[in-house]
Amino acid sequence: MSRLSFRPRPLDIHKKLPIVKSVKDFEDDDTPTASGTRGCQLLRLSAADSDFSVNNNTEVVQTPTKKLASEIPIPQFDAVDTYERDYSSTFVQPTSYVRGRGARAELGEFVEYDLDNEDEDWLQQFNQEKNLISPERFEIILFKFEVLDHKARERAGLITPTFGSPISVLLQLDAAFEVLQAQGIKLPVFQSVFYYWKQKRERWQKPILRRLQPPPPVNDTNPYNVFRPREKTHRLHTRRMQRRENNVQSFEKLRQVRRNLGQSKLILEELIKREERKREAMEIEVSLQRLQMKYKHETELVDDGFSIPGGYPAFSSKFGSSEEEFLDSDDVEIFHPRPAPIPRASAAAQMFADSNHPVMVPAGIPKQEFRRRIISNTTRWLHRMDPLDPVLLFTKPLVPEKLAAAGIIPPSNMPGAKSDAGEVKFHGRIGRGGRIVFDRWNPLSLSQINFDSSFNLPPKPQASMYN
Amino acid sequence: MGSIDTPKSEQNGSTTAITDAGAKSSAVDSMPPPLTKQSNGTMAETEISKKRKGGVLPLEVGTRVMCRWRDGKYHPVKVIERRKLSPSAFSDYEYYVHYTEFNRRLDEWVKLEQLELDSVETVVDEKVEDKVTGLKMTRHQKRKIDETHVEGHEELDAASLREHEEFTKVKNIATIELGRYEIETWYFSPFPPEYNDCSKLYFCEFCLNFMKRKEQLQRHMKKCDLKHPPGDEIYRSGTLSMFEVDGKKNKVYGQNLCYLAKLFLDHKTLYYDVDLFLFYILCECDDRGCHMVGYFSKEKHSEESYNLACILTLPPYQRKGYGKFLIAFSYELSKKEGKVGTPERPLSDLGQLSYRGYWIRVLLDILKKHKGNISIKELSDMTAIKAEDILGTLQGLDLIQYRKGQHVICADPKVLDRHLKAAGRGGLEVDVSKLIWTPYREQG
Repeated sequence: MSRLSFRPRPLDIHKKLPIVKSVKDFEDDDTPTASGTRGCQLLRLSAADSDFSVNNNTEVVQTPTKKLASEIPIPQFDAVDTYERDYSSTFVQPTSYVRGRGARAELGEFVEYDLDNEDEDWLQQFNQEKNLISPERFEIILFKFEVLDHKARERAGLITPTFGSPISVLLQLDAAFEVLQAQGIKLPVFQSVFYYWKQKRERWQKPILRRLQPPPPVNDTNPYNVFRPREKTHRLHTRRMQRRENNVQSFEKLRQVRRNLGQSKLILEELIKREERKREAMEIEVSLQRLQMKYKHETELVDDGFSIPGGYPAFSSKFGSSEEEFLDSDDVEIFHPRPAPIPRASAAAQMFADSNHPVMVPAGIPKQEFRRRIISNTTRWLHRMDPLDPVLLFTKPLVPEKLAAAGIIPPSNMPGAKSDAGEVKFHGRIGRGGRIVFDRWNPLSLSQINFDSSFNLPPKPQASMYN
Repeated sequence: MGSIDTPKSEQNGSTTAITDAGAKSSAVDSMPPPLTKQSNGTMAETEISKKRKGGVLPLEVGTRVMCRWRDGKYHPVKVIERRKLSPSAFSDYEYYVHYTEFNRRLDEWVKLEQLELDSVETVVDEKVEDKVTGLKMTRHQKRKIDETHVEGHEELDAASLREHEEFTKVKNIATIELGRYEIETWYFSPFPPEYNDCSKLYFCEFCLNFMKRKEQLQRHMKKCDLKHPPGDEIYRSGTLSMFEVDGKKNKVYGQNLCYLAKLFLDHKTLYYDVDLFLFYILCECDDRGCHMVGYFSKEKHSEESYNLACILTLPPYQRKGYGKFLIAFSYELSKKEGKVGTPERPLSDLGQLSYRGYWIRVLLDILKKHKGNISIKELSDMTAIKAEDILGTLQGLDLIQYRKGQHVICADPKVLDRHLKAAGRGGLEVDVSKLIWTPYREQG
């Protein structure tokens, strides 16, 4: 049952897969592909373990890069001696889950700034054992300078969303001293601190408090710069956010959408009308050509019969039928009022209108005359056809003499064939592609070919034909 | 007897066997007198000057040589960078080396005396242009990148890998102090330029601000009143707590956390701001506060159905089940959101192991108990694991077979148990009843 080119179908994740608990359920173990549909390399067991790879074709690939966690070494760590001292054990966990408060910065109280190496070194130098200002106080002052300067720049409209040009200090000594008098620092000390801070700012060209430093611009490609702001357009949830917005912009947009939809609706309606017209036109064409074919074919017979007045009655039945056909559903279709003018149909209708309306035949006219008139009208009509129309040569009957001259002889009657009416005379026709065809069987009437049979059957009055 | 600790015999290098440092020392009677271990550069002056004149020292970047590792044994390394110990012209260098057998996290600055100079490879390291990025690099650098390419870097395309390697090749911070522990770092992290002159940083355990000196940290601790991560506590079970921090609301904390985490994550990128992320901090609580042991980050809105961006257990707390807890927690959040999730790639080597272990345990537990048929989609809906991950896991264990014209899942209990054993034990369990959380909603 295994074929060499056997390949499993791709797995459908929606399809329920049977879970097989035992190996014994598998009988056909000779399929080389039975070992599975693996796609990726994972932890591997040796071939001996795997009960399901029952043949030795399974290759067990050792993946040397897959180690156990214990085999992957990592850098070391150590305990800090002073931990217990540095971190006080004053935490009491509340019984309910902790709720976060806002970031400390917004509360304004917390001194976000921490002295760095430069500050500490300068302070040590400055204090020189005299303790002019404590590190904590120094820290607070520097922090306040930063905040005040930021506010000043905000008021002046100088805050940039990303880092562009160097950021200089706006804060003035007097203004600062006014605000920070309450700190209780003597002016000369204050001045020294202020100038130190100002100098540092000039060297750094940006705020020394990290929170106040603007982020790098989005187009900055330096990999060492981090935390660029993401542009709104890049945000993954743009659409969702737009949906939630309810402002004038979105209203205008909705209005526009509505207008567009209305216009599309109109266009589509017109489109439908146009397509309906096209369909009608095509239907008319079809019936026209059908008629054409029918009457081209039958005109021959008519012409033949016409020249022999004696033979006229012999064709009467045919005429009857054709007359009936003529007055049949096609007419009904043609004379049915159509909303839009259709050139050919109306032209035809007009012709009929010119000649005596066959439907409104006055009872007194002898039938033969009437028929003659119809025929002549028909021929006239046929000749008045648009010269640009296709000629439909295949509807013309074949001329036996001409065929014989070309060496084409209709086949003689086959022995043993069913023949009700004795000799069957073939008259050929032009078939598809210009081939000459001698039929023995009329597929439409499902009977043998008689040279007087017509290929045309009256079209059944089916409304469905015109759908 | 081969003593690993005394490096007496190693410097002479006239013996042939390099790999086993222990065995060498006993066979060196014919050598010049053994040297005692001293600070760098004071081994026999003649030796060093000989080497220098011989053109071996200082070693060029890209040199391959044997180096003594913390286990006392010699391992092959490649020199990534070098620097002088002092500005003097005769000062020796120290070398930043990469151990070729191991991940980059073990790269470190080593002293000259740790290197076995006779094992220097004499192959010239030409500058070649890397076709992928156009970066000029040495042939050895290229080879190294190709080497490391196998391990844990598969999902980065070649170009970004080389770029990444270039600017992160040397760790800037070597050690950090965080709460109870002093930890050696694993990778480069892009701290602000003012911190470039520093090799050790001190982190406040709770607000994660970082400082260059211990005194600065101690001063900070006096005013810092935070005793747990900012943000809401969303899970508490025993001493374990989970806090959710919004990067937008606590920007400084989020950035500090990223700086810290980058020290231990190779492929994390800090390119964009933390606004669009949520951080889930796992803590052990005691009377000193809620101490971070690990975390994972998550995009607020992910188009690729990522339910996790970065995940890290701090080194002192690894191998205790916290990592698997974090993974399980991320899937519990996904279940609550009613979405299927998958971690963002690339996963580190340790990350891969943890995830595979988790997936195997969860899926095989279900297969053991389930009766009747099951589809991959159903498994996915039950576990919030993405179908591709389920397929990959099951196929990797050869549990999906094609029999009698259809796919089947093999769930022989013995086989499953074997796989489960190999996958390692589970992490700490998530008690869903203790999770009090609603999925993130954008505020208007």
